[in-house]
Amino acid sequence: MQDAITAEYSGPPKLNYLNNGFTLKSWLLTKDHKRIAIMYLITVSLFFMAGGLYASAIRLELLTPASDLLQTGTYNKVFTQHGILMIFFFLIPSIPAVLGNFILPIMIGAKDLALPRINLLSLYIYWVGGAFTVWALLQGGVDTGWTFYTPYSTTFSNTYVMAVGLGIFINGFSSILTGLNFIVTVHTMRAPGMTWFRLPLFVWAQYATSLVMILGTPVIAITVLLLAIERFARVGIFDPTIGGDPILFQHMFWFYSHPAVYIMILPGMGVISELISNFSRKKIFGYEFIAFSSIAIAVFGFLVWGHHMFVSGQSVYAGLVFSFLTMVVAVPSAIKMFNWTATMYKGSISYDTPMLYGIGFMGLFLIGGLTGLFLGAIGLTVHLTDTYFVVAHFHYVMVGGQVIAYLGGIHYWWPKMTGKMYSEFWGKISAMLVFVGFNLTFFPQFILGYMGMPRRYSYPPEFQVLNIFSTAGASVLGVGLILPLIYLTQSLISGKAAGDNPWMLPGLEWRTSSPPPTENFDVMPVVTWEAYEFGEESGLDLEGARANESVRTV
Amino acid sequence: MSSHSETGKFHYHEPGLQHQFEDMGQQEESVSIGMWMFLVQEIMFFGGLFTAYLVFRSKYPMAFAAGSNHLDAFWGGLNTLVLIVSSLTMALTVYYAQKSNRNMQVIMILLTMAFGATFLGVKTIEYRDKFNHGLVPVQGWNKRIKAETNAEHETKPCWEVDHNAPAIEHPNPRGEFQWTDCSLVKKAQDEGYLTNAEKIGYFSNGEIDANKFRDKVRIFYYLYFVMTGLHALHMIVGLALMTWLLIVAWRGSFSEDYYMPVEMSGLYWHFVDIVWIFLFPLLYLLGRHFMHGG
Repeated sequence: MQDAITAEYSGPPKLNYLNNGFTLKSWLLTKDHKRIAIMYLITVSLFFMAGGLYASAIRLELLTPASDLLQTGTYNKVFTQHGILMIFFFLIPSIPAVLGNFILPIMIGAKDLALPRINLLSLYIYWVGGAFTVWALLQGGVDTGWTFYTPYSTTFSNTYVMAVGLGIFINGFSSILTGLNFIVTVHTMRAPGMTWFRLPLFVWAQYATSLVMILGTPVIAITVLLLAIERFARVGIFDPTIGGDPILFQHMFWFYSHPAVYIMILPGMGVISELISNFSRKKIFGYEFIAFSSIAIAVFGFLVWGHHMFVSGQSVYAGLVFSFLTMVVAVPSAIKMFNWTATMYKGSISYDTPMLYGIGFMGLFLIGGLTGLFLGAIGLTVHLTDTYFVVAHFHYVMVGGQVIAYLGGIHYWWPKMTGKMYSEFWGKISAMLVFVGFNLTFFPQFILGYMGMPRRYSYPPEFQVLNIFSTAGASVLGVGLILPLIYLTQSLISGKAAGDNPWMLPGLEWRTSSPPPTENFDVMPVVTWEAYEFGEESGLDLEGARANESVRTV
Repeated sequence: MSSHSETGKFHYHEPGLQHQFEDMGQQEESVSIGMWMFLVQEIMFFGGLFTAYLVFRSKYPMAFAAGSNHLDAFWGGLNTLVLIVSSLTMALTVYYAQKSNRNMQVIMILLTMAFGATFLGVKTIEYRDKFNHGLVPVQGWNKRIKAETNAEHETKPCWEVDHNAPAIEHPNPRGEFQWTDCSLVKKAQDEGYLTNAEKIGYFSNGEIDANKFRDKVRIFYYLYFVMTGLHALHMIVGLALMTWLLIVAWRGSFSEDYYMPVEMSGLYWHFVDIVWIFLFPLLYLLGRHFMHGG
């Protein structure tokens, strides 16, 4: 069964998910996971831009030690809102709701997610939660830090804590429903022959993420609900003046928000597994290890929340246990890193734009992960807590990890999503700019933090040089992030047709047309090959197609 | 697991089958896993509240026992009974749907709804009692009672309360949360089982401080209202579900071939019952022996 995968399609334009209806209603009432993913993509991008504007304001303010651009109160609001928008409205939905929604059902050979109406509902909940939050931010915003620590948030802050809290509460259910849908879909919607161990590793990563979403998000929901009630009713369990416990809030908050850190990295790791294996044209090394390390991260991720509270008065013994478990949770991440490296060894690596992001991820996540161990070491962390070292660490994981993986995934699946190819030249330029700009922004912050520059307020003049480096880097990073917006949009208008399988890959998503038809496949696929199978067992003549491609381009 | 047909062709002919599925088996399995996952997240949602309850119960056991004693175990017990019976009628609804018996389905759904409504009615009576006695933890949300000239009870120490005396209406002009009885603290102090947190939390300068004790009882009532309130909200959602089921069952749409909506609504209803099965002993029963002997 050797398909001629480079054959050109001639005749009238094929009916696909984009051209089978153009009315607003056909979008807003769609049950098609692909259209829902596109609507998520647009909304998520808007939130990313809004969060980016706040980030620019922070970096501009930090050019000088004096508070000349923003007053202190405004500055508090700006970094709080940067955190809230980026975490709850960009990072958490980014890969699952956009890429997962679009590609996961196709990857497993399903016509749609198992519960399409629930999928649409989750999008609407996301919109309502987002609109609620944006309204609160426009009314005057919130200044508590994205962590909403009590009793400042319950008693003293004079800003829109309750409204923003409710926005996050509502938005949480969007995340829960997406996770629920993915779990059901992976269990029941796999095509014939698509066994658990033939699933692409992206699907395993999404499954692990979904577990965290279902088990963790309800806890943050009840926590912010209690916070909102407490603020409204002026009584509650977090108020120390009547015998309540503000530290309990931190426990409940981090019980979700630490696992949520893995919602913000596991899907990225899934994308990277795809990119590294496919662009090395080599079967992934240690498939089972990568698959189970995702599950291990999801499980251990629930046991380490106390490492956010080393200096908030928890007992020494709790601190020791949390420190130990923090070291343990690094192991599955390291397993992935080693396996990706081993996959690239003696592979036939092509440096296309997605792979540049993939390699960039490996470098940046390595630094982000290892500095996490510094912060988990119970002695060193006392020195580093609440300094810029922490800021640099989690930006290396979240931006260097998730955002880079998200961009890599967008470039990788763009031809499938839109049927159009973007400019490879500009793609590579922007990937390089992002990498260089990111390092220039955040590496100086490690040094600043180690020297003692605190988070969330101003710094002494001797730290100014490194802060200027950081702001300069942020400008480069900004250009690198705006470029894709331009050339990806341009590709929609004048990009050349991508073809069904532009990268010559064996995955199921590359065996349907680009863009895919509404029900994803014209004929129900039957899977007879293992994941990342580049040989003849894949049923495709990938090497032959690749040879033709190179003949054609020479 | 995967129940796609092996023919490689899409086909969807059965009634009630949605477009993304191959057959009813696949659809039922999907819906069922989805519902269980939803219940898992519900458990985590209430789990946060139960954790908060356990933390404060172990910190301030006497305040929680005192607050718990003022809840009426009769009404709570009655509601427990009502909910357990409603679970039976719910289970029978599923049974009759599977037997394609339309009339009995409708009767059982109506009975389930009646029990659900009874539960909410009893809850209203209880909330009203808390309102009248100044036990709603939010300032201004209690019945306002004008101050009387004869305020003899206030001169006595707060732990010398005659439990057999007729209840006195305490003046409460601003509708504040009120609690005057700290006899349990005295008893625990005399018999030496105050926790460390209580030794700090109830005392000022070595004396029992009625106001500080009241604040801890207020935490109990805060948790009582949040927990039972969220549970009642789930009951209201359940009643809405039942109304929808009633309409569909009335039309005779459920049969042995298609009863998943009944079964799924049943799972939800049972879950809400089970939450109450935990709430009742935790809120109403634990610590009663401190005041009633034994």
